[in-house]
Amino acid sequence: MRRAMGWLGVLAAGILGLAPLAGAETGVTDDTILVGTSQSFSGPLVFPGTEEVAGMEAYLEYVNANGGIHGRKIKWKWYDDGYKPQNAVANMKRLVEQDKVFAVLINQGTSPVLAVVPYLEQKKVPLFFPFQGSSRLHGKKYVFTSYTYYDTQTQIVTRWLLEKKGFERIGIIYQDDAYGKFFLGTLKKELEAKGLTVAAAESVKRGATDVSPQVAKMAAAGLDACLLALVPGPGAQVLKEAAKIGWKKTKLISSGPLTDEKFLILSGGVGEGVWGLSLWPDPVNSPLPAMKEYRDILKKYRPGHEPNRYNLYGYFYTKLFCDGLEAAGRNLTRDGLIAAMESMGRRENGIINPASFGPDDHQAQDDGFMVEVQGGRFVPISGWLAVRNGKLVETPLQR
Amino acid sequence: MTWAWRVLLWAGGAAGLWWLKGTLGLFVVNLLLVYVVVAVGLNVLMGFTGQISAGHAGFLAVGAYVAALVGQHAPGLGVGWALLAAGTVSAVLGVVIGLPALRLAGFYIAMATLAFGVVVSEAILQLDAWTGGADGMYVLAPTWFGVSLETDEQKFWLVLAVAVLTVVTASNLARSKVGRALTALRESGVAAECVGISTPFYRTLAFVVSAFYTGMAGALFAYVVSYISPDAFSIELSIDFVAMVILGGMGSIGGSILGAALLTVLDQYLAAFQDFRALIFGLAVVVCMIALPNGLQGLFRAAGARLRG
Amino acid sequence: MFWQLVVSGLATGCIYALVALGLTLIYKATEHVNFAQGEMAMVGAFLGYTLYTDLHLPVSMAVAGAVVLSGVVGLVIQFVVIRPAADQPHFNVFIITMGLSIVLRSLAGLVWSHDEFPFPGLFPVRPVTFGPVVVTPLNLGTIAVAVGIMAGLFAFFRYTRHGVAMRAVCERPEAAQLMGVEVRRVFAAVWVLSAAVSGLAGALIAPVLNLSTHMGAVVIPAFAAAILGGWGSFPGAIAGGMALGVIENLAGGYLAGQIKNMVPFLVVLGVLVVRPQGFLGEKEIRKV
Repeated sequence: MRRAMGWLGVLAAGILGLAPLAGAETGVTDDTILVGTSQSFSGPLVFPGTEEVAGMEAYLEYVNANGGIHGRKIKWKWYDDGYKPQNAVANMKRLVEQDKVFAVLINQGTSPVLAVVPYLEQKKVPLFFPFQGSSRLHGKKYVFTSYTYYDTQTQIVTRWLLEKKGFERIGIIYQDDAYGKFFLGTLKKELEAKGLTVAAAESVKRGATDVSPQVAKMAAAGLDACLLALVPGPGAQVLKEAAKIGWKKTKLISSGPLTDEKFLILSGGVGEGVWGLSLWPDPVNSPLPAMKEYRDILKKYRPGHEPNRYNLYGYFYTKLFCDGLEAAGRNLTRDGLIAAMESMGRRENGIINPASFGPDDHQAQDDGFMVEVQGGRFVPISGWLAVRNGKLVETPLQR
Repeated sequence: MTWAWRVLLWAGGAAGLWWLKGTLGLFVVNLLLVYVVVAVGLNVLMGFTGQISAGHAGFLAVGAYVAALVGQHAPGLGVGWALLAAGTVSAVLGVVIGLPALRLAGFYIAMATLAFGVVVSEAILQLDAWTGGADGMYVLAPTWFGVSLETDEQKFWLVLAVAVLTVVTASNLARSKVGRALTALRESGVAAECVGISTPFYRTLAFVVSAFYTGMAGALFAYVVSYISPDAFSIELSIDFVAMVILGGMGSIGGSILGAALLTVLDQYLAAFQDFRALIFGLAVVVCMIALPNGLQGLFRAAGARLRG
Repeated sequence: MFWQLVVSGLATGCIYALVALGLTLIYKATEHVNFAQGEMAMVGAFLGYTLYTDLHLPVSMAVAGAVVLSGVVGLVIQFVVIRPAADQPHFNVFIITMGLSIVLRSLAGLVWSHDEFPFPGLFPVRPVTFGPVVVTPLNLGTIAVAVGIMAGLFAFFRYTRHGVAMRAVCERPEAAQLMGVEVRRVFAAVWVLSAAVSGLAGALIAPVLNLSTHMGAVVIPAFAAAILGGWGSFPGAIAGGMALGVIENLAGGYLAGQIKNMVPFLVVLGVLVVRPQGFLGEKEIRKV
């Protein structure tokens, strides 16, 4: 009897195994799933790009070493776009039309991502978790986005400053591109809604040589708080310049992408007391078990890479993608994966708040928490903050 | 050049494109043809006048944004008019840059054109009400007598037609009175003036023609990629264009085509090499330049000479 | 605020001036434009960083070592890449150095990664106040070292035998050869000197800009500075560099929006229209 059941099982497995062969989904074979991406392996964002890839590969190798997903190993194909939109499109077409990937996983940067989204939507190829914070990707059927949009980040910080800290004169130093503009634009809207105005705004060009003019002007503006929508290099320059001219009256506040350990290392210890919005636990020191697991897997599979927020991103969102594959079951299709993602529900991940998706909600994270630099580390000074139904809400952090 | 030889060349080019379509895809073929138009256009300036331009990505950007804006605000307008508009606006800017450049020599022109490229990028960022700033803008498909050219295949025929037109007109230009005047100016400005060739007129003309071609290429670029942003038109791209012309062989139209083709294919092919892409690309440029002082056209000429005995 | 901006502008301007000086050295001797000058500065700074962090040398020694090692890098580049192409047209060599800049940048990325690193300053950063102006010894030191190097180069070209030989080669290579100057050796020496000066510039700017493989972009403002001052003129390179640094800062301080990023380039364009040979350049006279 048990034997017969066993044979039945084998037969069933055989049929199930054959089933995908009949109507096989692109990029999926009996024992492999092919994913691909176009990333910055050169160009201005080469460091974030290569680190994200390290986190992605570390997790994928870990999954493959543990038997893959529903018996399938994940194979991958990465191309370099050097942060140029035209090359991103070329790579994407190659991935879809020639390599025939199942899905696209974590590409990067406003221009290269925006350039390829209409094409992927048209070809119905799902794009998972591009590294960018523009809300222009909201509401696309085949796109799942990752972290809190830049405009939401600004809302969280501004409301927290106005409502919890009673600040009024708020200014901003922003990077002269899409990323910085999002923060500037939303800050303006938020303050105007409260009958206030942006007290001072200064831009910094990407790769600028000197930020002393911007800092001098901001210091003279008599602000309560100054948002820094920058990347770590210029952000650290601002801190050093502020320390140099003795600009202490104003609270400096880093945006989500700037709240990065590199920002503190580069500023050489003058960052004490700075506030920031953080989207992640401290990648190097966090005692959360899931964070320890991340560091172990990174160390095992990509030993040359120190833990940082970029490879944490690559690791975390690849894991989320694999959770989706797991939920989609053995009979894997693109639409099935999307449906599975949308109905996965709130699942604890031990790192950030549970991501949950729905047909109208393809965003993994919509919150963050405030931190203060104490002893060269970002220490939380608030719970998880989010703007829901137009109100700032706070929930406790997981420990 | 004999007819047979010429037919062989065109056939070789067609075969090359066919091979490329199979290996890297039709999109890359389209991009390559756009860069061919730029390289041939830049060669009009560099090859005929000996002036270097480090700002042609600026002209490309101008053409691209003009075409995108025309598509947005005058959707029914045919692709021919859009190309003409892109080329014309770019050519007008060519006059603006070409006139002051008259007084400049050698690398001063490189600086002036480089500055032009930077100013164009900044202007695109600044005029974000029209251009979308750093966010970039999507480009609507061009229309040809009411037919919207949506697919890569349709765009291929458009780009191919313009590329062939560019090559044919540029080679006719080279053989015309204008071409001879320009060559005379490159060899010796003073001597040319003595025989009645007006330096300011012809040097400005070279700038204008070059800017016109590149502006048209910009429109094609916008159609092919369907999305444009300032990130697409970096200083780096301007320098790549110069490299295409010089690697191909200054002054040779065939060389410019080969230079654009080689660098584009190499760059796209190497995308799969990830971290090593830039390294291999850079090494290839250095080695090719050292090995081929006369550029690719020199290599071909030598090969042709050997074939004919 | 005005003087504050001027002083920090001068500090940045000095870096432009040093890299521009490196460009000018090579141009005067060989008529080549070295697009990889910025990457040479970057590699020099990374070498200094390695000496500092891995060999635990004091900062001053590490910077001195960086200068020497940069010279070696310059020699290797001259030998391997430039010499085989020495007889080619200048545009060809320009493209070769363009390829070289890509190679150096990606090699540096493979060796040191594309991350950003804090670079120790040769001088402390604790600020000093002079009336309304706050400066760091780092600012002042940068200016002092740069000015010292420039003075040293002038003395070298004016009073030493090698310097005079180099100038001779710059002016009239054939005549110099006839007079018994080893032209090829002088070309090599020029690359060594130019690379060393750039390496120093890299080590001076790294504490401000942070050390990364993107630092090579400094070649663009340096080129603009050299053109602004007058292409091929040593005093021009220095004046152009200082002027550009100050213009950038004043534009940043007094102009709104993105106009300020265009201003330095508009100024360069404007100067070229009014005075095609730059501030201190000589008018070229060509024979028929």
